[in-house]
Amino acid sequence: MPAGRVLGVVLIALVVAALLNSEAAVRAGEGMKEGPTRDIVLSVARPLDDVAGAVGLHLPRDGLDLAFGQEDKTGAGTELERGSTAILQRRRERRDQGFAQPTAAEPVEVFVTGDSQAEFIGQVLTDLLPADLFDVEVVARNSTGLTNPEFFNWEINARQEIAARQPDAVVMVIGGNDGFNVLSGGVLYAPHDPEWRLEYARRAAVVMRALGGGGERPVYWVPSSTARDPEQNAIYEAQNRGVERAARAVPGARYVDIFSTINDGQYSDELRIDGRRVLARQPDGIHFTRAGALVPARLTVRAMAKDYRVLNDLP
Amino acid sequence: MGARRTAPAARIPAVSFPTIEFAAFFVVVFILSWLLMPHPRAWRPFILVASYIFYGWVDWRWVLLLVASSVVNTVAARVIARAPSQRTRKRALIAAIGFDLGLLCVFKYLGFFVSEVDAALDSVGLGSPLPIVQVVLPIGISFFTFQAISYVVDVYRGDTRAASLGDVAILQAFFPHLVAGPIVRAEELLPQLRTPRDPRAVLAGPGLFLIAGGLIKKTVVADELARRVVDPVFNDPTAHSGGEVLLAVYGFAAQIYCDFSGYTDMAIGLALLLGFQLPQNFNRPYLALSLRDFWHRWHMTLSRWLRDYLYIPLGGNRDGPRRTYRNLMLTMLLGGLWHGAAWTFLIWGGIHGGALSAERWARERWPRFHLPAWAAWLVTFHVVCLAWVFFRSPDLGTAFDVLGQVGAGGPAPLVTLPIVFLVLAAIAVQAVPSRAWERAEAWLVTRPVAAQGVALGLLVVVADAAVGQQGVAPFIYFRF
Repeated sequence: MPAGRVLGVVLIALVVAALLNSEAAVRAGEGMKEGPTRDIVLSVARPLDDVAGAVGLHLPRDGLDLAFGQEDKTGAGTELERGSTAILQRRRERRDQGFAQPTAAEPVEVFVTGDSQAEFIGQVLTDLLPADLFDVEVVARNSTGLTNPEFFNWEINARQEIAARQPDAVVMVIGGNDGFNVLSGGVLYAPHDPEWRLEYARRAAVVMRALGGGGERPVYWVPSSTARDPEQNAIYEAQNRGVERAARAVPGARYVDIFSTINDGQYSDELRIDGRRVLARQPDGIHFTRAGALVPARLTVRAMAKDYRVLNDLP
Repeated sequence: MGARRTAPAARIPAVSFPTIEFAAFFVVVFILSWLLMPHPRAWRPFILVASYIFYGWVDWRWVLLLVASSVVNTVAARVIARAPSQRTRKRALIAAIGFDLGLLCVFKYLGFFVSEVDAALDSVGLGSPLPIVQVVLPIGISFFTFQAISYVVDVYRGDTRAASLGDVAILQAFFPHLVAGPIVRAEELLPQLRTPRDPRAVLAGPGLFLIAGGLIKKTVVADELARRVVDPVFNDPTAHSGGEVLLAVYGFAAQIYCDFSGYTDMAIGLALLLGFQLPQNFNRPYLALSLRDFWHRWHMTLSRWLRDYLYIPLGGNRDGPRRTYRNLMLTMLLGGLWHGAAWTFLIWGGIHGGALSAERWARERWPRFHLPAWAAWLVTFHVVCLAWVFFRSPDLGTAFDVLGQVGAGGPAPLVTLPIVFLVLAAIAVQAVPSRAWERAEAWLVTRPVAAQGVALGLLVVVADAAVGQQGVAPFIYFRF
């Protein structure tokens, strides 16, 4: 076949794919790091998506999503994108709040979710928790965060997951991808702005409430730990202060401090774990290695032990 | 035992084929490549720069590594080709191989070595002064270093002529095969690079078919199996019943085939659209009736590399049965190590080495005895699956947990009809005769351009719907 015809085939294929997949293209663009590539993709994908949506070209893809059992993880008008900071007003927890203790007949179902950090931390948590008393399921949503709901809306996802799984407890490991600017009250704020921290706290509270069902189940929120890059580290510090505030306000939410406690809040590639020097961080200076994930996992178990007494007996 | 230090699945980098960035990149490269093809002096720097852009998109420092490798191997090959003294030629060969393996050792094995030494010293109460090393593994380093070694050895043996720096650079960096193979021999690609391709005769049928098929294999089969059954089971084997574990083991066999061959299909297809033919890498491996047969069908370019540059130089089967078994074992152990610095990969290689040796011994001991084909297939497939358990497991403990859990009872919610069907389909599709695929390709290429374009576009939409919002997982062989 002549090269010209091949080009024709490829271009037609890309146009067809772009038209029928415009929503996914917008989402893909939203998920990219800020920069010229993202700007170019979104400048093409958004108008295309408007056109495609207007003439019903979303329908075939919607049908395929249904066939593959894919749930929409984005949506307009959610509280995550826009809502009141009233959610951060401190509520008094019921004094008698307690959660059902695990037994062999009825183990506690723990749902571990969040971003890519949830994978290793979740796996290690699975090893740490007594298998006969705790059923752990780990579902990580890589590259997601709270500050980019157009790419992935955690409020929507939280409601879907809770409705489907009905866990007894949730461990949420998230924060590593949250360096995006946020819109609040029509104004765009950057991570170093105090308003950004307040908005982040608000979003964390919304998701905590969605996961915890208003105190029905404990939500152990495991934020980002220290990062090798000082700028990134400062962002995480700001985030975590916001998350701490949110956890104080939402019934059943527990903030697991893995930022200021691990190595006294100082970043280190290595950690001493059980007397052994361990490479605890991945080359990106953010993710824990599988061996290093033992530390945040243990801190999580310690937090869980305040609700599940049997965990106090663990070595 | 050291667990594998692999990162959790990160977002797929732009260097990967099924991304918007790559689609845009390829359209531009395709147009410019064919426009410049009649002018080799313009085409050659263009394709090299395009390949470097492709590779450097994730990290520009990797390009420096690639350039360094090309320079060193070109110089060594020139010395080998021109030096009158055999001693000089040999020294140049050893220096080049030393450099190539040195690169691999620093980026791939140094961290493993240091942490294992550290652990060993710790266990006897001695501290280790060595810092624990943090090194980012450049994507594709295992492939382009092996390619470089193949080139200088071929020059040394007289199988190919020493080439210019530009030729060697393109040979290594040519983007369709750069990050995950096929491992191309100099004599396969250099003659093509030196001859302008004919724009009137692009092998579009096979090319588009391979790209489409590769995309479906990766997104609809491999990623789906990983998400639905393989990853959940291998993350926590003891939390799953025997039925689920068994499905995960077979599922991984299907997943890794579809993942890796899917990538290779796309690589070969993209190269065909640019006018170049890369060697085949898979030939229906799960139809193999013996381990030897399996290695003639699985990752063929790696297995021929191991045969020609390791097994035969070690002595092959020339020095009696004991030496042969030793050579087989060493070759497969090093083949395992090539995949990564972990005991699990070594054991994977050891299982294959042991099985190949056992097969050979049995053939020599009972030359007239042949298993019926169905039995031979069953045994071969299950030995391969057993080895895959170690290959997939993050550490030895998990591997033994998986094996120990196979006989466990209990409910099996992960065993669903669609997943079972996917696993069976991924394996059974290999039984479809090649002629059927060739007829389909020939039919496809005679359709109108618009029909072909629409069909391909719809396939892309299906593939994207299959992966959903979590996106395409990184290809397994990107980690090597």
